[in-house]
Order: sequence, then C-alpha cells, then structure tokens
Amino acid sequence: MKILVCLKQVPHKDARLEASGGWIDEGGIKFEINQYDTYALEEALRIKDAGEAEVVVATIGPDRTSQALRTALGMGADRAIQIWDDSLSGADSLTIAKLLAAAAKDESFDLVLMGLMSDDANNSLTGPMLAELLGLPHTTGAMKIELSDGKAQVERELEGGSLQVVDLPLPCLITVQTGLNEVRYASLKGIMQAKKKPLDKKGISDLGLDAAAVASKVTVDKLYVPTKGEGAEILEGSAGEVAQQLVGKIKELGLL
Amino acid sequence: MSKTLIVGEIQKGGLREATLELVAMARGLGGDVVSLVLGSGVSGLAEDLAKKGGGKVLCADDAALENYTADAYASVIRKAIEAESPDLVLFSNTPSGWDVAPKVAAGIDAGIVTDVIRIEKDGDELVFVRRMFNAKFDSQLRVTGSPKLATVQPGALEAYSGSEGGSVEAFDAGSPQSRTTFVETRTAASGGHDLSKAEIIVSGGRGLQKPENFEEVLKPLVEALGAQMGASRPVVDAGWLPHEYQVGSSGQVVTPKLYIAIGISGAIQHLVGMKGSNYIVAINKDADAPIFEVADVGIVADLFDIVPALAAAIGSAKG
Repeated sequence: MKILVCLKQVPHKDARLEASGGWIDEGGIKFEINQYDTYALEEALRIKDAGEAEVVVATIGPDRTSQALRTALGMGADRAIQIWDDSLSGADSLTIAKLLAAAAKDESFDLVLMGLMSDDANNSLTGPMLAELLGLPHTTGAMKIELSDGKAQVERELEGGSLQVVDLPLPCLITVQTGLNEVRYASLKGIMQAKKKPLDKKGISDLGLDAAAVASKVTVDKLYVPTKGEGAEILEGSAGEVAQQLVGKIKELGLL
Repeated sequence: MSKTLIVGEIQKGGLREATLELVAMARGLGGDVVSLVLGSGVSGLAEDLAKKGGGKVLCADDAALENYTADAYASVIRKAIEAESPDLVLFSNTPSGWDVAPKVAAGIDAGIVTDVIRIEKDGDELVFVRRMFNAKFDSQLRVTGSPKLATVQPGALEAYSGSEGGSVEAFDAGSPQSRTTFVETRTAASGGHDLSKAEIIVSGGRGLQKPENFEEVLKPLVEALGAQMGASRPVVDAGWLPHEYQVGSSGQVVTPKLYIAIGISGAIQHLVGMKGSNYIVAINKDADAPIFEVADVGIVADLFDIVPALAAAIGSAKG
C-alpha cells in the first residue's frame, strides 16, 4: 500500500491576520499544517499502523513549508516532497493540482488523501482536480474510510447531519472532513527520526513542466475586511452592567 | 452576447432553492440563460425550472443519474458545456456541487471560483466575490479564459421569483458510467439532543478553552435561561461534546427565539446554521470576529467575566 497525503501549511488559527493586496501579510506570522490535512495524514498513518504502507507527504510552498513536512515526518510519514518556485506565489488551485499530479504520476499511489479544504483560501478544489488529472475516482468530505478487497467504503458528510455512503475502487482520491479521527502529536523520538527521513525538493522543471503549462487562470485582486452591515449593537460597561442590559433585552423578547 | 449555464440540483424530489438562486444570479448578469437538470424521472422538474426562469432547460433524464456520482454527473455536465459553449457555468456550493465542479474544471482546463457570494461586472469582465480565511476577509477574484466556472453559496442571494416561460429539451446523457458506486444516504443518528425546537440556545465555541468549562461556565447560564446547549464544529471535532450538539451546515440548522453564541468566532459553516435565529447575542473577545456581523447584540469582552455575571443576573431577575 502506497499512500500520498497532500498538505498545505496555513497561518496558525490564532494568528492575527492583516490583508495585504491579494493576500495576507505573512510577516511575523506562525504557520501550521492545515487542520483538515492533519486528519488526512492521521488516517494514512492509521492505515500504516494497521498493516504495511508507505506514507508520502507532499506540499507546494516556499522554504517555510519544509517545517510542516518535518512535522508530518515526525508524526510517522516516511518521506516528503516539497515543490516550489517563486513564480508560484499566488498560484491557483488548478496550478497546484497540476504540480501535484506531475509529482505523483510515476509513483503509482494506491490512495491519495488530503483535507476537504484549506483554512486560508477555503477553496475546496485541489482534491477533485488532482483526481481528474491523475484519472482517479474521488469523493469529498469523508467522515469514515474503510479499506477492504481493493476498495474504499467512504461515509461522506452531507448537510444537516446526513451522510452518503459510496464505494470507490482503489486507486482513488479521498478528501476528508475534520473530526474523522483523533490526530496524534509527533513524539520526541519521531521528531528525532524525522531529521533522517528524505525530504525531496523539486522545482517546476524537475517535474517536466514549464511556467506556461502551470500558469494560473484565477487571480485574487484584493483581500479586504468585509464592510460591516448594520452589525451588532455593542454593549459597553462592566461585566455586571452589560449583564443587566442583556437581561433587559431578554425580557423585551418575552423570554424571562 | 454572453451565455450562462446553470447546473440545477434536485433534493428530496424537488428543485433545490439554491438552483433558483443561480437563476437570479444568471439573470442579474444578463445574457442568455440555459439550465441543465440531471436525474432519473426528472422531466417534470425540468418543466418546473423552465417556468421559473431557467430559460432553455436541458433535461438529462437517465437511470444512470438517479443518484449523484462524480463520474456520471461530470460527464453529462461536460457534454452540456460542449453543446452550449457557455461563458459562465454556475453550480451551487453544496456537497454535490463542490464534489463535481472542480472535476469538470480540471477536465476542461478552466478556471473556477468557489463559494461565491456575488458576481460583479467591471465593464465586460466578471469580478467574483467570496469569503476567505473562514469569513474573516472578503476577496475579489478574476478568471481568465472561457468558460469560467463558479460555485455559489446557497442563501447568498434571493431565489428568482419571476416566471418567464422557458422550454425543455431532452438532452442525451448517454448512460454515463461511474467508477464510484452509490450505496445509500442516511440521516445521522440523533442522540435525542434535538435543537430544532428549542426556544433558547446557548452555544459554546473554542473560546471556552477546555471541555470542563462547558459544565462549569456555560451550563449555569443554560440552566438559568431554561435553554438548550449547542456547540460549534471545533468543539465537536475535538470530542468535547457529541456531534448532536453541533450547530451549523453540517450539524443542526436552528431558528430559536434567542441564540447566544459564546466564544464562537463565526466560521461560515456555523453562521449558516444559526443566522435564521430571531435574536442573536454574541460574546467574544475579538471585536473583528465575523459572529458580530450576524448578531443583534454583541459584547466584546472575556467570556469568563461575562457569562457568570449574566447567569447571576438572570437568576436574580427570575427571583
């Protein structure tokens, strides 16, 4: 069993973000592995723990993202691929999928896993795009994955708490929801071992591609704090004072 | 003259409201409107869409389309794009929309923008507006090439209410094959914590910091109000509370008379589940949290100061 986990490094969920042009100002911000992708990695590591599997992690990103790959290796992944070229700054999802497809196409992965979306751009595009480019069947938003007899049975999350069950033949690509499993932490021993694991850095030409082949079609012109509507009436004062004001409002609603 | 292709969606035997929202968006942009309805035994729904502004409705009625599969649906959508050469293709950002649209985009090498809330025109160019960073920011995007694909957030605009007469054309789906097999759809077992009929809901988020605080900090307020307790997704994902407490697009959609969101920043998936509440109170220490946008009343402060004070004040108000 050979598993590819695609992951993205995103700003830490508690980072204070400021918009700058078409993106955020990344200066002085802490980064972490996209939450959704950590569940995909954990699922791959559980398959490995239950049997024989090689887990490969891949990301597209600048130097800082090798830290995310080292963390993944520390959690138990076997090797890592980092793809970057400065021309890829601001790349759209289809470009990312093309790069991942080029990196994966000769590896014959049985299973490709990644998060349903990233916590930064929230696009939810790369997974199905990569599946299409690799000629694999896919499904999105898995809450449960069971492998047996060359197929994967997946419970995918719909709206309002309902689930859809689908069977996919391997090889296939599955994007996962948060809450699929309980994600492990890298152990100290794992982190030490990770330093000796291979981290392969590749550029666009190493993948047999050129800049024109991976030119983005989608550009973000502008990122900005939304103009607030009327917004909330903000109550001011001490804890006791605002509590009294709220009690008044709740009384007006006839609920006290 | 531009042309927009709408990919319709069927839910529980009817047209989804979101499909009529796509009609409103397409008509707002002007130009020709063409729609595609996929399914088995759906000619009546195609007629319905034609009457509700869908324009020329292509009806792909095929037993192979009875249940959604990415392979079969993508192949029919691609055939419709080839037949109609639209400039813009609109999907709803639903579990089937976000599953199939990127597959179609990659298959035809087209640019795509997801979860769009608005499309504006800048001369002849389209500007797509969507949220990013879990609704902390809005963004404006442009797409090169044609067609351009977009998925649109359900509820982002009003459904089209006009009734222009359209027409229905049978569209040969060609019995598309699928590698994935649909097994079943089932409703997640609810453990008896039904929030849909609650008058008052007090929900806690990651701001409560640890599971014990739901018992120690939140519960006294819940009890003082005679409310039901809810939670945001991160709380449920972390295993602090069971899934049946989750309010949001993937949990329960609620419309109580009073909704109090405590330590919840307001990720879009949560807002979708509670913004229909009659009166919303938000308590959060981050003044920029998106929850304040949908709230009627907000308190920007440390919840560990406010919540006990509020529980006490309600207790004494009740006598």
